[in-house]
Amino acid sequence: MRTFIKLLLSDLKQFYRDRTALFFTFAFPLLFMMVFGLAFSDDNGMSYEIGLVDEDRSPASEQISTVLKQVSIFNVEQVDSLDQELVRLKKGYIRGVVVIPAGAQANIAMGKASSITVYYDPSQSTSSSIILSTLNQIVNQINQQLTNQPVLIQVEEQSVQTHDLRYIDYLVPGILAMSILFLGLFGSLTMVERREKKVLKRFGATPVGRTKLLASQVVYRLILAIIQAFLIIVLASLVFKVTVIGSWFELFGIILLGTLAFISIGYFVVVRARTVEGAMPIIQLVQFPMLFLSGIFFPVEMMPTFMRPVVNALPLTYVADALRQIMVQGVPLNPMWLNVAVLGAWLVVCVTLAIRFFKWE
Amino acid sequence: MTQKYANHYIAQIKNLAKCYGDVRAVDDISFQVCRGEVFGMLGPNGAGKTTTVEIIDGLRTADSGEVTVLGMDVKRVPGRIKEKIGIQLQSPSLLPLLSLEETLSLFASFYKRSLPIDYLLDILALKESRKVFVKNLSGGQQQRLSVAMALVNDPEIAFLDEPSTGLDPQARRGLWDVIEDMRRKGKTVFLTTHYMEEAERLCDRIVVVDHGKIIATGSPSELISRYFKERAIRFSVNPTPTKEILKEFPGVIEVAIDGEDVLIYSDQIPATMSAILGYAEETNLTEQLKDLHVRQATLEDVFLKLTGRKIRE
Repeated sequence: MRTFIKLLLSDLKQFYRDRTALFFTFAFPLLFMMVFGLAFSDDNGMSYEIGLVDEDRSPASEQISTVLKQVSIFNVEQVDSLDQELVRLKKGYIRGVVVIPAGAQANIAMGKASSITVYYDPSQSTSSSIILSTLNQIVNQINQQLTNQPVLIQVEEQSVQTHDLRYIDYLVPGILAMSILFLGLFGSLTMVERREKKVLKRFGATPVGRTKLLASQVVYRLILAIIQAFLIIVLASLVFKVTVIGSWFELFGIILLGTLAFISIGYFVVVRARTVEGAMPIIQLVQFPMLFLSGIFFPVEMMPTFMRPVVNALPLTYVADALRQIMVQGVPLNPMWLNVAVLGAWLVVCVTLAIRFFKWE
Repeated sequence: MTQKYANHYIAQIKNLAKCYGDVRAVDDISFQVCRGEVFGMLGPNGAGKTTTVEIIDGLRTADSGEVTVLGMDVKRVPGRIKEKIGIQLQSPSLLPLLSLEETLSLFASFYKRSLPIDYLLDILALKESRKVFVKNLSGGQQQRLSVAMALVNDPEIAFLDEPSTGLDPQARRGLWDVIEDMRRKGKTVFLTTHYMEEAERLCDRIVVVDHGKIIATGSPSELISRYFKERAIRFSVNPTPTKEILKEFPGVIEVAIDGEDVLIYSDQIPATMSAILGYAEETNLTEQLKDLHVRQATLEDVFLKLTGRKIRE
């Protein structure tokens, strides 16, 4: 036990002294999350810049303007020149221009139809469709009030989510899964390096057992995984108000299981590699498809159906899904037991193969 | 084999052989190391020294042959043997971001029994650099660290593979003190070296190996007197006489001429000397004759004679 603790402390000390490792293990996932989180956080609470040109200047048009200005997703700026606003629209500074034409009040008073013109940029399809449908809704309401028609049918919104799932809620468990992937897969490189540089040979000249050498490496990685996950979750909750809804116990259980699975996969894929230079590309080859096909950054549903068998074959899919279910109670991809079972199977198979084929010298 | 006999030898090597492809790195060698002696294995690079030591350490497996260390077969119980032996490998790289002190302390934790780290740092003059990371140590410091690591478990027998390589003269003398101190304590040291001076000074017995075979065994003085009853006479002169003239002198066995320097091996020193002086007088070269002296043959001479090569070629 004394030997094991010494080995573990040595690894931790060396990690702490290695600035590059420190950066890539702790700072990199955090930076990644900040960049992605801030870049895509506009979906919710976003407002669209709208230009408003009131050519009527009547109490009625004033009323319409007021209603428009109260719409939460619109940031309305009333201006005089239509031409100037259209230039701004084309350049992308604003998303739409609403024009209330002269004579609107007169038309309404006479019971004649009057039209409000909306200029929009069809290349901004998402924002344009939101703006147009919102405007239609508002105009309908105004019509109802003006004609005193009773409201007979109403749409009541009912979300199936117990709470609003934002992109960041989707992203954070993905970042966690990604950092587990890195931490686990690259773990075997230390051993390959120590074998290549004959450090393992020197250890082999002492009575220390290989089990202890390996166990201390694995436990060291697990400790890093816990610290790393903790930092990610803390930052996510401070900056993006992402909270862990499910049980912390289950969350860290999956983090440990996932790290173990990826450590064993990492050891298995490098059994044939003699040098770090030889092992590195193999690990990157394993890691690359998982980064993009496991639903870390965007939902698996967005991928074509023929990719699904690939997606389902990748262990990271199950880590990400399990973490997402526990943390933010996202839509489950697989039942929880299946996630755990698949990760367990990867772990058992790769550990067996790695023990069978890993060369110490 | 009686118990007493077994105890006398701390390591026994019988018909050891190891091939790498077509190369016979170790070619059927047998020898014994006695308890409490400093045993030297001498030979040029590539002679098979390191392979032999690593098989005895249990770090490599032999193709054939038997190795017994401390009465145990190295193939069967390497773990128990490793507790009691110390191994210094040729330039192993260690954990670069651990300090010298931490490295020793880590290795000490691998053994049931270990020497105090301070003592080891002291005898190997490493106290000032105890906090230095391994990657920042100089070559000589790393070399001394690797010797310290071999001694950390206070071993019965220490295998030191070229321990003085890369050490400056002062550090080398320090290392010799450490080895002599071990002998005083009744420990055994197995040393490989290609420094003749080191082997002559330290070793009780040596084997000379070349191309994987033992070509001579004995104490340094035995080897010198066995292979060199003659001694060497050295002088420089200009112009030098021809080899043919010198070989006619009484007692001369071998002559080597290098520029103005002449080396004559002779088994009748007085007769050869007077012939040299007579020749100088006859040819009016007495004024030119410089540095005339007689010296004892060394292991270097033995090696030259046995292999026809200088040891560090």
